[in-house]
Amino acid sequence: MSIPQNATTRQAARFDRRELLFGLGATLGTVAFHSLLRAEETGPLAPKPGHVASRAKSCIFLFLEGGPSHIDTFDPKPKLDELHMQEFHRKDKLASAMASGKRYFVKSPFEFERAGESGLPMNRLFSSLRSVADDLCYYRGCVGESINHPTACYHMNTGNRFGGDPAIGSWVTYGLGSPNQDLPGFIVLPEVYFPQGGAANWSNGFLPAFYQGTPLRPKGSPILNLRPPPGISSEVQRANLDFLAKLERDHARRHPEHDKLAARLHSYELAFRMQSAVPGLVDLSRESAKTRESYGLDNEACADIGRRCLLARRLVEQGVRFVEIYASGWDSHDYIAKAHDRRIRAIDQPLAALISDLKTRGMLDETLVIACGEFGRTPDNGMRGGKKVGRDHNAEAMTVLFAGGGVRGGEIVGATDEIGEKVVEVAHPIRDLHVTILRLLGLDDRRLTYFHGGRFKQLSQTGGEVIDELIA
Amino acid sequence: MIVVADDATLVALECLWLVFGSAFCSGDFLRTFDLRFVAVPFFVGLVLVASPASGDESFREPDEAELQFLREIRPVLAEKCLPCHGDPNQKLRGELDLRDRARALRGGESGEPSIVPGKPDASPLYVAVTRSDSDLEMPPKRNDRLSESQVAAIRRWIERGATWPDDARVDAIRKRSKAWKAYVSDPEGEAVRVETSGGTSSEWEERLYETDALWAFRPLRDVSGEGEPITSASIDEFIERRLREAKIGSAPETDRRTWLRRVCFGLTGLPPSDAELEQFASDDSPDAFAKVVDRLLASPRFGERFAQHWLDVARYADTAGYANDWERPQAWRYRDYVVRAFSEDKDYASFVSEQVAGDELPDGDRSERLVAAGFLRMGPWEHTAMSVALVTRHLWLDDVTNSVSEVFLGHPLRCARCHDHKFDPIPTRDYYRVQAAFVSTDFADANARHVSGENVLEAKKRNQRVTHQMAGKNIVPLMKLEGDNALGRVTKKLAAYRTRARQRFAPKALSVKSTPRKGGASILEGGSLERRGEEVTPGALSAVATLAGLDAELPATGQGRRRALAEWIVSTENPLTHRVYVNRVWQWLFGRGIVATPSNFGKTGERPTHPELLDELAGSFVREGLSTKALVRRLALTSTYRRSSRHPKPAALERADPNARLFATFAPRRLTAEELRDAMLVSSGELRTQAGGPGVFPEIDWEVALQPRHIMGGIAPVYRPSLRPEERHRRTLYVFRYRGLSDPLLTTFDRPGPDLSCERRDEATIAPQALALMNGEFSHGRAAALAASVARSEKDLAAQVEALFRRVYGRSASVEERRASMAHVERMREIRRTTKDQRPVVEIPEAVDREMVAEQTGQLFRWREKLALEGFVRDLSASELSPSERALADLALVLLNSSEFVYVY
Repeated sequence: MSIPQNATTRQAARFDRRELLFGLGATLGTVAFHSLLRAEETGPLAPKPGHVASRAKSCIFLFLEGGPSHIDTFDPKPKLDELHMQEFHRKDKLASAMASGKRYFVKSPFEFERAGESGLPMNRLFSSLRSVADDLCYYRGCVGESINHPTACYHMNTGNRFGGDPAIGSWVTYGLGSPNQDLPGFIVLPEVYFPQGGAANWSNGFLPAFYQGTPLRPKGSPILNLRPPPGISSEVQRANLDFLAKLERDHARRHPEHDKLAARLHSYELAFRMQSAVPGLVDLSRESAKTRESYGLDNEACADIGRRCLLARRLVEQGVRFVEIYASGWDSHDYIAKAHDRRIRAIDQPLAALISDLKTRGMLDETLVIACGEFGRTPDNGMRGGKKVGRDHNAEAMTVLFAGGGVRGGEIVGATDEIGEKVVEVAHPIRDLHVTILRLLGLDDRRLTYFHGGRFKQLSQTGGEVIDELIA
Repeated sequence: MIVVADDATLVALECLWLVFGSAFCSGDFLRTFDLRFVAVPFFVGLVLVASPASGDESFREPDEAELQFLREIRPVLAEKCLPCHGDPNQKLRGELDLRDRARALRGGESGEPSIVPGKPDASPLYVAVTRSDSDLEMPPKRNDRLSESQVAAIRRWIERGATWPDDARVDAIRKRSKAWKAYVSDPEGEAVRVETSGGTSSEWEERLYETDALWAFRPLRDVSGEGEPITSASIDEFIERRLREAKIGSAPETDRRTWLRRVCFGLTGLPPSDAELEQFASDDSPDAFAKVVDRLLASPRFGERFAQHWLDVARYADTAGYANDWERPQAWRYRDYVVRAFSEDKDYASFVSEQVAGDELPDGDRSERLVAAGFLRMGPWEHTAMSVALVTRHLWLDDVTNSVSEVFLGHPLRCARCHDHKFDPIPTRDYYRVQAAFVSTDFADANARHVSGENVLEAKKRNQRVTHQMAGKNIVPLMKLEGDNALGRVTKKLAAYRTRARQRFAPKALSVKSTPRKGGASILEGGSLERRGEEVTPGALSAVATLAGLDAELPATGQGRRRALAEWIVSTENPLTHRVYVNRVWQWLFGRGIVATPSNFGKTGERPTHPELLDELAGSFVREGLSTKALVRRLALTSTYRRSSRHPKPAALERADPNARLFATFAPRRLTAEELRDAMLVSSGELRTQAGGPGVFPEIDWEVALQPRHIMGGIAPVYRPSLRPEERHRRTLYVFRYRGLSDPLLTTFDRPGPDLSCERRDEATIAPQALALMNGEFSHGRAAALAASVARSEKDLAAQVEALFRRVYGRSASVEERRASMAHVERMREIRRTTKDQRPVVEIPEAVDREMVAEQTGQLFRWREKLALEGFVRDLSASELSPSERALADLALVLLNSSEFVYVY
């Protein structure tokens, strides 16, 4: 988001808010009005300066749940063509049952091409994404720890494999606040079904509830209880709110000692501002036909993810700090060819459109786009149902895709071994990925701490290092 | 001792680097470690074993500069610098190596020396720790910054020439110097050393603790003399004394109605009834307050309320979490055990022992005790085909090691899993000693007959319902799928959930058993399963032995370890246990503990605001048979508990007690999520007080009920509400507690997640609360029921308004309130008459359509799951009300949204 746009949005939001307050008349009264203005300057979501110069102002994280195969998407391994169907021996001491038994190498069933001036290799099925190849950065050095979906998802989303800790989006909004006070600072766009591990993937953990991820639901009411139930017209709602405001004023007079009453009025104000703001925001018919088409909204194979990518852009434009999109279904195991084919087609056009749309609007430099799963996949498969072109979970290698937000474009950082089993260059654990994301957003993981359970906790758990090679 | 940076296999590998400051004198360290490993498994205290250095006869006593280095500089270097600038197993940051003087003088990548002896301001090391130059601040993490006295010590040290004896000399001084020994045994100032079972480094063992940070490890002080029972009046006197010291008076007594509402919510989690209000208002007898408290303590609702507090701490849920969120079909029996324990006022020692070692206790009710030991299995835990057995075993061991200490002793142990505790005298060895008490324990789904009072009514009928609702035939494909038996997997998964759900009434307990397995626990270096170190025998926190004289003797045999650990915990000599518990109870009544961090009595926790009072309460609690009810009775009858929330001199109070630590007023609090839901059901007259039994399923927001939950290989069965209102409208305590699904009404009002022990509820005020209360189905349902009930009993609008106020606020409406309320209802009637909207608030769905990406083809796959809710009795819907009843429901909704209802003063 460019600065002038940002300012305009802010002004518009402020103007609407005044309108609304006056429109509500005596609804929540002057107490609320004053507390509201104060909250804007000092409230928990008020914008705060970061710790270091930031590259990105906001972040869109496309989470590819299920474990996309780096070997079949962005990290081709021709060596596997030679080894195809030969036996492969593993000797991990703490390997899961999945990695035991008889195993054999598997070549990729896909063809690869180089794209853009930078010549980044990618699966040919990425027919749209290739057009923005020079804006992409492949990071091939990320190393996870867990090969179980929920723990690995928790790790990628919260830094803690066992869940219960705040998500990255919560940390970021805790650290930076959010430019738009009418919307939550951290919004999640889940699929119809929630991912493994559920809402703990966007939980505020031990941070105050202001920083929790708010899911905008793809079906039904985008935010729970956003609208009153049938039978409550806006006239009824208004009258009820007016009467509530009267009771609250009287109550606040009787309890001047209770400082939470103003905040409570504020929360009702915000709730009903959201009630009017959100429906317009999620209404994609306000976008031009051309834009909708570019995101693939008329293409059944990718319309669902296209809608959410377009919505993510709208949210960031409105000053939402962190948006996470879920795009699951990557756990293809014995059916890589068919299953990954469909998944790639589902994200290709939307992701390409998101990046080029942000670029066209001058927002890409200040918006960090990330796409990755919770782990990568193995170069080999188990003998479970005979020899099949499949792959198991692999925490020791994956590809993380970056674009915009101060990351180098058209670059490959890090490398895996010749079969894609393990990282061999620029290896970094997930915590370093987190530290780097924070840094790009202007936050220093070592200063972004919160006292809980007897110590100052941080996203990286114990500290980590910035992956300098990624930063432009 | 190898540190592999990438090997952060488990999350509790927190602060890995903190431990390895020991690399500073790694030679010495390795030697000691080896010796212990081979021959001295129970080594306590300082390492004073013979070393090659001791053969040298030419030892010279250290000079003051050397002593200063050992005392003040070496520990700081080890803790703050060496993890990044001297760990031989890690890349040196900035190429700077601070392991000895020569290397420090050589400097790092800048090429400049890091220290210029005699010139602190020209020494980058000194400048960095002062944090005066924003480009050069060390340590990088602000919260790790050096204290002022540490910075001053470094300045002094450099000024005096930066004396830096080498490792051999340091070793010799530590082992042979009289001056050093004298210092170690009696350090000057307020700091003391604490002997423990042994740290992983000599620096850690020699570290000093500020006396006041060790307060909780010291024996209880007998403040008012042996045997004097504490009284409500003496509690007040402790509070008043602090107020007098702060030169501020306490708030006056609150009015009777406010107190009654406060004590009813405080002791039962429910509002007072109309009759109770009347009775109390007209009772001028001197013991009117005591009669109320006694009645509440005798009510079954007291046990339920306090059980809720305990279940927060005990991380209770009915499911296991993670990928499948499998049901634990008998977990509810543990919940009911806790309710019974509070209702029957079980002595705290039994309560603790049964939860830690119920299966090992010799006599008493075996079934009850097997159920109680379910405490040990309450954490989230799962083992799937993808899991490594050793990893999931440790997932459990780590959960119970930490939980037992955090819950009963106020010392979370998680930090000590990977390294000696950074702040408290708890070496990592203690962590594994406590863990060793559990290594011979296995899970047991034990036979345990139902005990008297357990609610197993309608078992057959409810099992039949599960069979019917979760039958495979309720899964219907909506499309054909080639090459993937996704439907078969969905049906199979449903059957697996059904099998568990049908075990709810089985006479079994989610419990544990001891095995004859001998052996202790291996210290895992850095918490890594791949680096098994020395094996330690079972034990407890060794600082308690040093500072309070209470040692734990746990048997080496497989059986009886937990029982011995429990005996140590509940020993009257244990300084932690009883302080921790009475403080929890205090917080449950007053909202804030005497120690504001009830699960953290260590250095980083808060200090007690009234230490003598805490000790007096704990001592009295011990002397008088560990009765929770006796304790609660005294607290509830204090003047402190009777205070107004409003102080006559707010500005003076703000100055005298800015952090509200002195209990000068009663702090207003918002109802907890459970209280809020229960109180709304009380207002509408719908609450069912039936106690106990397997969890029930209220109607939750239907969008959430139908929300697909991704589980391993599929989507979890749909949430099906219980069929009849009398099942759905029970207290929230009895609602089935999923880990992976939560009633959004409860979550939004800060009900904590069940995965971590929760010491204290949050009270955030956020917009979704307003949306939930103003627009949610539950609020509208209660408002409708309330309006209908009032309209049935009162015909006249004024009387109806009065009845609404009494039902929601427990008081009459003022004249002005009555006038305004009647005007509001009349206005709403007008609107309702002209704009009729008869759509029901909620449509009960018959089926839900599901879709997911079929794993084997990547194709979207759709099916339908029928809810099979035959016989579902709907709640009254607002759409069924007449226009005037509906207008009354509007008023009811507003009252239920108002702060007077939502807060307790």
